[in-house]
Amino acid sequence: MLAVREKRAEFERQALVHTDALFGAAYRLTRNARDAEDLVQDSLLRAYRFWDSFEQDSNCKAWLLRIVTNTFINEYQRKKRSREVLDAATAEQDAVDGVLMHADASARQTPERALLDRSVSDDVQRALDALPDDFRTAVVLCDVQGLSYKEIAEIMQTPVGTVMSRLFRGRKLLATALREFALAEGYVRNDAAPAEAGATKDAPIDLEQYRAARAAKEGSR
Amino acid sequence: MSLCQSIDTLAMAFLDDELVAEERRELELHLLSCESCRQHVEGERADLSLIRKALVAPPAPGALRVSIQRALDAEDLDAARAVRRRSITFVGRWLLPGAATLAAAAAIAVFAFVPPPEVAPATTTVAREAVRQQGLSLPLEVQGASTAPWLRQHFAPISPPVFTEPNVELLGARLTAIAGHDAALLKYGVAVGNNRFTLSAVVIDSLREGELEGGQPIKIGDRTLHVHDADGVPAVTYVDESGPPGSRIGYTFACQRLSAHELIELVVSSDLITRVQQGR
Repeated sequence: MLAVREKRAEFERQALVHTDALFGAAYRLTRNARDAEDLVQDSLLRAYRFWDSFEQDSNCKAWLLRIVTNTFINEYQRKKRSREVLDAATAEQDAVDGVLMHADASARQTPERALLDRSVSDDVQRALDALPDDFRTAVVLCDVQGLSYKEIAEIMQTPVGTVMSRLFRGRKLLATALREFALAEGYVRNDAAPAEAGATKDAPIDLEQYRAARAAKEGSR
Repeated sequence: MSLCQSIDTLAMAFLDDELVAEERRELELHLLSCESCRQHVEGERADLSLIRKALVAPPAPGALRVSIQRALDAEDLDAARAVRRRSITFVGRWLLPGAATLAAAAAIAVFAFVPPPEVAPATTTVAREAVRQQGLSLPLEVQGASTAPWLRQHFAPISPPVFTEPNVELLGARLTAIAGHDAALLKYGVAVGNNRFTLSAVVIDSLREGELEGGQPIKIGDRTLHVHDADGVPAVTYVDESGPPGSRIGYTFACQRLSAHELIELVVSSDLITRVQQGR
């Protein structure tokens, strides 16, 4: 009993303080609040079960984010796929019903409602939706959570070079989409320049490669 | 490889603060003299700020925090049950069938009955008398499934405590008197592997305040149990005060084969701690 209580207190002190951060990551990974809540709760419960395996003094937040990311990749993607199949079936039914429902539905679609449906936050979620999962995960871990390349590489179990290229391409796609939405909504003027000038198109994104080339040059001097 | 050729990589690592000091200095110097790379870095910086601003996420909803706490509570309860199962199994290992039982019993007496230092002696007459009667081999007046209705008819409108452990079952009961109070003596059979032993409970009606006090208090949620050492036998007492004044119901549990710790675990697994006193 005492051991259980101590474990709980320690878990609350070290892990539950990151609930906001985990929810932020989960919200951007799943793109909706309900799935994000499920994902955070599942992940924290898993973390609690394996609390003994957490190496004290290591980065608890990174450890928790690894659990969130893995749980997301392993379970939520699968669940989402099965739900998409269901959604497709529902959509088909709706299309049939729609013939009867259409007049009623358009009567309910007020201008205020339409504006809400196209809020900035929706644009962000739609922009994220368009990203491949690996790109999105890298961007979320770096730009929502502020983790280092090395920490992201450990979580995603890929080399740092792979993290960098996912991050690079993910950010490019996301920035382009966000600018387009902002333009469409009139939030920014058209002269907000996209960051393409000077970029060498086919140069690989790999810091290690740059360092190796630089070291080789130094050596040959 | 010139800096201009690697500017995509360098700008990104620079803005993410991933360059080592020497690389950063080199790039900063280069940016002073290279207009094109400088523009590139500034463009990337603007994109990054756009992305980070857009991705700021809402905080966790309060309902999520509540449901996390609930999930952890359920997990703790499961863990406590698993511990209890282990500790009962541990006692079971010392119980040997047939001729070996007597010798083994002596070993248990030495091993399991050493009370933990924090277990206080049973201080009140009521508690001591309850534990004494639990050690006697009094015949049961009712057995099996009819025990609960029989108790309600002949004793008091209470239900015998039910244990969530599947290996603890109510064997029967008899009426008795403890220090001038009506009481019922209940016997439970506990099965551990091939071995069976008895857990007894005394339910005492209409206790006055403080009559079943003493022992070491243990808080379980908002309820308090007391652990007693009755001449080497661990006992756990609990007073249900949810009824009207003057109708307190006292419970005393004792088992010769369990340590104080194991007995507490077992009592906590009963519905006593959670249920509202029935019929009162």
